[in-house]
Amino acid sequence: MNRALPVLSVLAGIIAIWYLAAVWMNSTWVYDQAERAGTTVSFAEMVPQTMNQDRPLLPPPHQVGAELWKGLFGQAVTSKRSLVYHGYVTFKGTMMGFGLGIVFGVLLAMAIVRFRVMDMSVMPWAIISQTVPIVALAPMIITLSSQLGLTDRDVPKAVIAAYLSFFPVLVSMVKGLRAPDQMQLDLLKTYGASEGETFLKLRLPASMPYFFASLKVAVAASLVGTIVGELPTGAIEGLGARMLIGSQFGEPLIMWASLFAAAILAGLLILVVGFVERAARKRMGVPA
Amino acid sequence: MKKLITAAFLAAMASQASAEDVKLQLKWVTQAQFAGYYVAQAKGFYEEEGLNVTILPGGPDIAPEQVIAGGGADVITTWMPAALAARERGLPLVNIAQPFKNGGLKFTCLKDSGITSTADFAGKTLGVWFFGNEYPFYAWMAKLGLATDGSEGGVTVLKQAFNVDALLQKQASCISVMSYNEYGQVLDAGITEDQLVTFSYKDEGVAVLEDGLYVLEDRLADPAFQETMVKFVRASMKGWKYAEANVDEAAQIVVDNDQSGAQTLEHQKYMMGEVAKLTAGSNGALDPADYEMTVATLLAAVSPDNPAITKAPEGTAWTSMITDKALAQ
Amino acid sequence: MSALWLAVVFWLAAWALNVWLAGSRVSKSGPGRALVPLIFGVTVLVLWEGIVRGLGVEGVILPAPSVIAAKIAVEMPTLWQDFVQTILKGAIPGFLIGAGAAFLTAVAIDRSPFLQRGLLPVGNFVAALPIVGLAPILVMWFGFDWQSKAAVVVVMVFFPMLVNIVAGLQASERMQRDLMATWGASYLQTLVKLRLPAAMPFIFNGLKIASTLALIGAIVAEFFGSPVYGMGFRISTEVGRLGLDMVWATIAVAALAGSAFYGLITLIERGVTFWHPSQRH
Repeated sequence: MNRALPVLSVLAGIIAIWYLAAVWMNSTWVYDQAERAGTTVSFAEMVPQTMNQDRPLLPPPHQVGAELWKGLFGQAVTSKRSLVYHGYVTFKGTMMGFGLGIVFGVLLAMAIVRFRVMDMSVMPWAIISQTVPIVALAPMIITLSSQLGLTDRDVPKAVIAAYLSFFPVLVSMVKGLRAPDQMQLDLLKTYGASEGETFLKLRLPASMPYFFASLKVAVAASLVGTIVGELPTGAIEGLGARMLIGSQFGEPLIMWASLFAAAILAGLLILVVGFVERAARKRMGVPA
Repeated sequence: MKKLITAAFLAAMASQASAEDVKLQLKWVTQAQFAGYYVAQAKGFYEEEGLNVTILPGGPDIAPEQVIAGGGADVITTWMPAALAARERGLPLVNIAQPFKNGGLKFTCLKDSGITSTADFAGKTLGVWFFGNEYPFYAWMAKLGLATDGSEGGVTVLKQAFNVDALLQKQASCISVMSYNEYGQVLDAGITEDQLVTFSYKDEGVAVLEDGLYVLEDRLADPAFQETMVKFVRASMKGWKYAEANVDEAAQIVVDNDQSGAQTLEHQKYMMGEVAKLTAGSNGALDPADYEMTVATLLAAVSPDNPAITKAPEGTAWTSMITDKALAQ
Repeated sequence: MSALWLAVVFWLAAWALNVWLAGSRVSKSGPGRALVPLIFGVTVLVLWEGIVRGLGVEGVILPAPSVIAAKIAVEMPTLWQDFVQTILKGAIPGFLIGAGAAFLTAVAIDRSPFLQRGLLPVGNFVAALPIVGLAPILVMWFGFDWQSKAAVVVVMVFFPMLVNIVAGLQASERMQRDLMATWGASYLQTLVKLRLPAAMPFIFNGLKIASTLALIGAIVAEFFGSPVYGMGFRISTEVGRLGLDMVWATIAVAALAGSAFYGLITLIERGVTFWHPSQRH
């Protein structure tokens, strides 16, 4: 309870500010409509009219909540109108990108730690790659993958997600694989351990805490990448596609509900990854 | 390499299916603007012709011209200015059918903003779509003699999003709308028709041909491909005519095919009703006079802002070869 | 095809050169350090050029680097105008406002453990959200010009910064704080002389993350409405016009701007946190 109370009060504060902002922002439309109709509305009449507009500038929390509820529980999860279904599509993309990002990040980190030339030539470019706004590259990735005969639109989505998620893994793994100090390395040398053995028995275990710590960042990055990838890749399905369609057809409620569904998905992913991280730390004897 | 991959890919596809495969890339997301193709698919018109058609929806970053250049589609829907622009850039697209006789592009303004005629545009902010739809707008402004580079006495152009917020939030005096989509959204938002002044590109003499079917010129030389396209156009036009006659059913088919699940039947019915007015005058064959008008419109405003085409298209930008055969039978 | 083989041969030669450089004493010097990645970058460009030319990839799919470079040279004024709109007016003010607001918030709640305990989990959560999804909404609120782009950047930058600064302010050690107390230092003195300097590595870590987010935010927001210039506008419009050379030219500018931005923050970090172990080489 001691830990929940502050969080709950902050959340309550946010909701209160949200309601006030909704009244303030949506009032313009009420006044405009009244003016067009040639009538006037008092403040007391205006407030209720800001709470249930079809196209509010800022939908109040209960409207978003209702739409979210409808999307999550109001229909069969296999329906195209179900946010669970679209959440699953986005989840699938996120996991593909996440997996791809981990594999690529770990392999690159191994190469960088092993070969000095990789470290010197590739590492700076890995940093630069993250400063290129991925959204600028997204259309290019789509074109190039369709050029290579990959017509499945999950592929560019996963590539974009992996592009964002490989970096935290790479940085942490480089740090982790270099974590053993000279003394430990020397010890293994006196045992006559081969390079492969040193890697398997010393470097790899030493890097694990770093690896798990990077996963949380990587999974969040992968979700952002997937949603960005869903905006332009044909806007077919997934939470990103719904945001776009909601925006195009002037349905702010669809947009907001998708946004919150994405937030819930993000929360779940971070919870799961956090749980895996704690379990792994426990098994390896690191105090969590 | 590309040819190799494409060839290998096509060979693999051919060995799998006995039906002729056709991939159609749409210009935008699944909506009644493309109802004819979805209806032809759902009602089995493609199947009757022995075709196996895959319809690929588009999106904000998908240029159909680029998809077909990359071998990702056999045939695309696009607007003629974009197709002609691609042709000038070395991608020889050929119009093989024109289901849309008239264009749905309109320009609507709030009367509140003080606009009653084109003479009032100077100094105002005008919303335009880009991604290939901006060409007729720039042609129109050139015709009116209004500068679009933000200089004195000209207009301020803004790239509007794919909705009508710019008008509702009064960020622009006028915005581009499609008669079958955004115009309805403006009305839905509670603004009545008499609060609006709407200009038609056709009446202003700057109309361009909208959704047509385009293929790559070199593939059209292949008789087998020609034959497939004849079947495709015939079935598609059958789909269009069915959609025109059965608006509600067509709208339902479109909604069923929308994978995002965010489209509403009500809005698609409106869209189908309006689209039917635009396709009604076409049996699929392109009217050469419309083509000439499109080219004239584009050439009227050649500038860095409007780089559609700089000279009259070379070679065959359109052909009646496919529609002649498709409509003869 | 010969262009492709030429490029592959060049790549192998450059790689061999790099292996030699990395092992030699040249790589210990400053310029040597920069030389190796530079050679690698050039190799990638040459390989790209070779592939495009050798395989005859069409310009509407992937233009060659030489074509892109020519486009950059010709379109300099347009690219500059886009840069001003997106980076100088959208990303940087948004970045400064967002980081500044996060800093003020962090200091404001510094004396209230209750608010900290409440805000930190919420902030951590929001920092992991796909905030880019807010872009269409913010464009609707703040209009089409740079203000809405800056607003998107503010929202994207705020929470990662807040979380890092709050964590940073707690980074000083108990013993250090006690020492300040025995010297009779006021809250403000402790904050300025001990806790803020101790927080700097965290703050710079946040700034680095925020710098990439700022660029993404400013560009995405332009997809949802903009004036007729700006990098996001240019990319989406030129894709539609098949002007792929211009798209890549803009991407090059974005990469350059992003790297310069990141590099600038790293430089300042070196000056400010020279005492931190991570800066000792």
